[in-house]
This record gives sequence, C-alpha cells and structure tokens, in this order.
Amino acid sequence: MAEEEPIMRLENVNAGYEKLQTLFDVSLEIPRGKITVIVGPNGAGKSTLLKTLFGLTTVYSGKVIFEGKDITGLPPHERAKLGMAFIFQLNNIFANLTVIENLRLAGHDLPKDELEKRINEVFETFPRLRERMYQKAGTMSGGERQMLAMGIGMIRKPKLFLIDEPTAGLAPKIAKEVLANVKRLNEQGYTVVLVEQNVKAGLEIGHKGVLVVSGRIVFDGPAEQLLARKDLAKLYLGLAV
Amino acid sequence: MDWNLFTSTTIYASVLALLSLGITLIYMTTKVFNFAHPRLSLVAAYAAATLMAYYAQSTGAQPNLTPKSSFLGSLTVPFSWEFYVIGVIVAMVFGVIAALVEYYGILKPLQRRGADYLMLMIATLAYDFLLVATLFIYNTHVDVRKVLARIGVLSTKMSMTSYDVTIVTSGGAFISGSFIFSVILILLLGVSLYLLLFKTTLGVKMRASVENPPLAEVLGINVERVYAISWIISGLTAGLAGYLMLMAAGAGNLKPISATSPADEIVVSAFAGSIIGGVNSIFGSIVGGLLIGYIELYIPNWLAIWTGNAELFKYSKVISMLAVAITLLFAPEGLAGLLKGERWKKLFGRKEEEGVSEE
Repeated sequence: MAEEEPIMRLENVNAGYEKLQTLFDVSLEIPRGKITVIVGPNGAGKSTLLKTLFGLTTVYSGKVIFEGKDITGLPPHERAKLGMAFIFQLNNIFANLTVIENLRLAGHDLPKDELEKRINEVFETFPRLRERMYQKAGTMSGGERQMLAMGIGMIRKPKLFLIDEPTAGLAPKIAKEVLANVKRLNEQGYTVVLVEQNVKAGLEIGHKGVLVVSGRIVFDGPAEQLLARKDLAKLYLGLAV
Repeated sequence: MDWNLFTSTTIYASVLALLSLGITLIYMTTKVFNFAHPRLSLVAAYAAATLMAYYAQSTGAQPNLTPKSSFLGSLTVPFSWEFYVIGVIVAMVFGVIAALVEYYGILKPLQRRGADYLMLMIATLAYDFLLVATLFIYNTHVDVRKVLARIGVLSTKMSMTSYDVTIVTSGGAFISGSFIFSVILILLLGVSLYLLLFKTTLGVKMRASVENPPLAEVLGINVERVYAISWIISGLTAGLAGYLMLMAAGAGNLKPISATSPADEIVVSAFAGSIIGGVNSIFGSIVGGLLIGYIELYIPNWLAIWTGNAELFKYSKVISMLAVAITLLFAPEGLAGLLKGERWKKLFGRKEEEGVSEE
C-alpha cells in the first residue's frame, strides 16, 4: 500500500455521548506509521474524538473508515479484532496481576511460542518491564504502568494505537518518560494517535498535529507548524509565548 | 477440650465457610449481594434427600445400624457408599441449577433492563421467597412424603443425621462422617481454588474480569463466561453446604431442614463470614466463615460456663453481628485487608507505596 494512503479516516462526522453532541462535522486523516497528536483546551472534545475512532461514542452522521472499510457503528471489540488498540487514561492494566500475567492475558488466544516471542519483544522495547516481571502491576510507578499498558497493546500487534492522555496526573519527569516511550513505540513501526494535555511535549514527539476547539477541528497539519502558530497557542492552549 | 463441641462446631463452621465463599464470589464478579444464597443449599438438600431415599427404596436397602469393628474403632455405615455419593452429587447439581436459574432467569434479564445493584439485591430476596414457597409446596407433596418417610426421614423437618457414617474410637471419641467430610472439603476447596485462580489461564482471566471488566473485554476475554463460571462454583459450594446441613442437622447452629430452616438463621452468619473475610477476597471468605462458626459457638459456651447461665447460648448470633460491626468500624477491608498489611502500615506510620506518583 502506498505510503500516502491514510490508515484511518473520518468523513464529516457528527458524534457525542447519547444525546449530547460534542463533535461537529469533523473530517480527519490518520497517516500510516506516524504519530498524530490531538490537542486542545479542556472539554474541547479531544478524548471524544479519540473514542469516536474506537467506537466508544454515538455517531449521528458521517463515516468512519479504517483501511478502506466503512466501520461506522462497529462495536469496540470488533474494532480490536481489526487491529486497533485503545489505551485508556486510567485503569489500563490489571493492578492485581503480575506484569507477566498481564502480558500473558493480553495474548491469551495466541499460540504459546508466538506469545512468548511477543512478550520478549515487549521486554526488548521496555527492559524495565522485564525487571518487574513478577511484581504486581499495581505496585509499579505511574510511568511503568503506562509502559505496561503499551506492552499489553503491543502483544496484539495492532495496526493502530489510540492512546488517551497517558501523562495525566504524572509528575513532569515521568510524563516525559512516557512520551519518550510513545515515540519508541512509533519507532517500532506502530501508528499512533495520541491525545495529550501537555501540548508542547506532545507536539514535539508528533508528526501531525490536530487542534480541536469546541468540537471542531481548527488546525490540521504538521505538528511543528502547529507548535509555531503563536496565535493559536495564545488563544487556545494557554502556552507561555 | 470438649471433643463433641469441637467436631460439631467444625461442621457448622465449614458450612458457613462454603456459604460465605459463594456470597463473596458472586459479589466480586457480578456485584450482587445474593440474599437467596443459603436457600440454594436447602434446594440442594431437598433434592439430595429425595434422590437418596428413592435410591434406598429402589434397591430395597434398609439402614444397617450395627457397628463393625475396624482399625479406627467401631464403624457404622448405615447405607452403601453409593447412597452418600449420590447425595453429594445430586446436592451439587441442584445447587448449580438453583444458582443458574437465579442468574439467567432473574438477575441477567433485570441487568439488561438497566437494573442497579439495589434492585438486583431486592430481586435476590424475591427469589428467596420464591424458593421458600416452592419448597413448602414440595414438602407437602404426598408422594415425596411417602418416599422420605419410608427410610424414616420426615419431609417437613428433614435430617439424615442418624444415617451418617460414624466411628467410635477405642478411646470412646465419637467421629461423624460429616466431620471428616467437612474437614477434607475445606482443605480441598482451599487448595483447588488456589490452583484454579493462580495456576491456570482461566483463573487469571477470572481475576482480570473481576478487576477490570472493560479492559478484559477489550482484550477479547469473554467476561460473561467468567461470570457464569463463578455462579456455577457458587452453586456447587451451596450444594455441598446443603449436603452437610442434611447429614449433620444438630451440629453447631444447624437445625433440621425445612423450607425455611436453617437458611433463615444461617444467612446472618454467612454474610458475617463474607464481610469479616473482606468482601473482595475469596480466601478471606473461607477463613471468615470458619472464624464466625467457631466464635459463634465457643464464645457463648465460655460465657455460659463462666456465668453458669446456659441461656446465654441463645445469643450466639449477637456474636456474629458484633464481629461484623467491629470489622466495619475498624477494618472495613476485613481479614484480607489486614493481611495485605495496609492497615498495619498505617498504624505504624510507615509510608504507603504510591502507584500513581513520582518515584
């Protein structure tokens, strides 16, 4: 498939939660092999946009297309089968299970040696997880938990990672580490859509930047361009200029 | 030590442990406090008694109460071994049926209509009444009464205690089959639950589904099947408790089986065991149930001896209620919470391990 062919596309989507519409006429392309970062002020609809990609919202009109197929209305677990992985902001690991149990569980339907191979790949990407292998996931630090959440996603070799505010509630130093891990994930060849509240740090690792304000896309282009638009930053993002 | 008090208390405590386990398991998975749970045991006990009686009738077996001498002492086995095996199996099967009817017939449809936890809890009470009524009707059924009466079991107040296997040792100690059965049962239950939950993939899936159902679902785990399995285990253990109630009426606070008894009296203690164990711990519930069983009988016993007032025995349920109150006030997470050490750490001012903060 051509490099330019986007992995996923939204066409004039109106969406929200039940009767509360939060996205208005949104059209968006997710480029393959890249990191797309969705930013915007609180309550703008960033997470709604991400959840719409995974089928967690109600789509009133418009089309959701994944790899050329119309998947509007397809439930989340079916999308997971198509190769989409959604990493929740909170509760994205099993805190009472050990690290290795978490990973084995993620690949419970894989053949045994294939599963071990993939677990090894996760450990190579995130060596810290190998050290914590037999530790209960809930006793790890916030950064390590996000690492495990990505590892759980990797086991299923998804074509597209959807990551919802992975740095929320983390100390700046740890948040930086988490974003570095998102970058590492992308370097392994995974396509990522990231919703990030820390605009600057998020856009710095991203290729494409999307600015959402009041449920509409206000900017859609290269991440560094969005970062350079002082007017937008001042207006919506509260960045010190 | 009073040997008879010990054995009968152990049987009673095992019944409570089995029931507390079922209550906790269902609470952990489907988040329902199942008030009908002890009644499932009565359904199992009735079914077991009836089929055991039918079996005895169809083979023409008469209870043989003459003791034989064995290496353990004088042994009495009133019926052939199949008689007891049938009882155990039938009790388990009917425990499971009664549990699955409750889940698929009542709770699941209500959940689908958007019922909240409170509504489901009240629905379990309604199911409980339904079972009482069903058992009453069954009780008064002429054929059933005839069959049960033929081997000497009255159908309105049933007990098969006189058909229990017994051993009288050369030292004069009395050991009942139910005592041995309950001890083996609790040990087996503990070990097999440990193996299931921590050594099998199904167990890991169960623990995952309990902890984080949405994430489990996203990973393609059939959470619904896990719930069904927990209802089956809960029914199995209720059935085993029912079998013990039937064979050991009179042990501890167990009364002869009727449509209401001993479920009505035992429901408080079983919930106490579940709460004291920590409502979110399977092993806690087994220990909690056992503990309630022992303190409910031993403490009034000591008080009665100490004050010379045998009437104090009547207040044994106060002990379990007090235990619940103390648990909820001082250690709401129950024994499991205490073992995790969180409370101790707090008490001694040690710093809590924080997951979601800086390293």
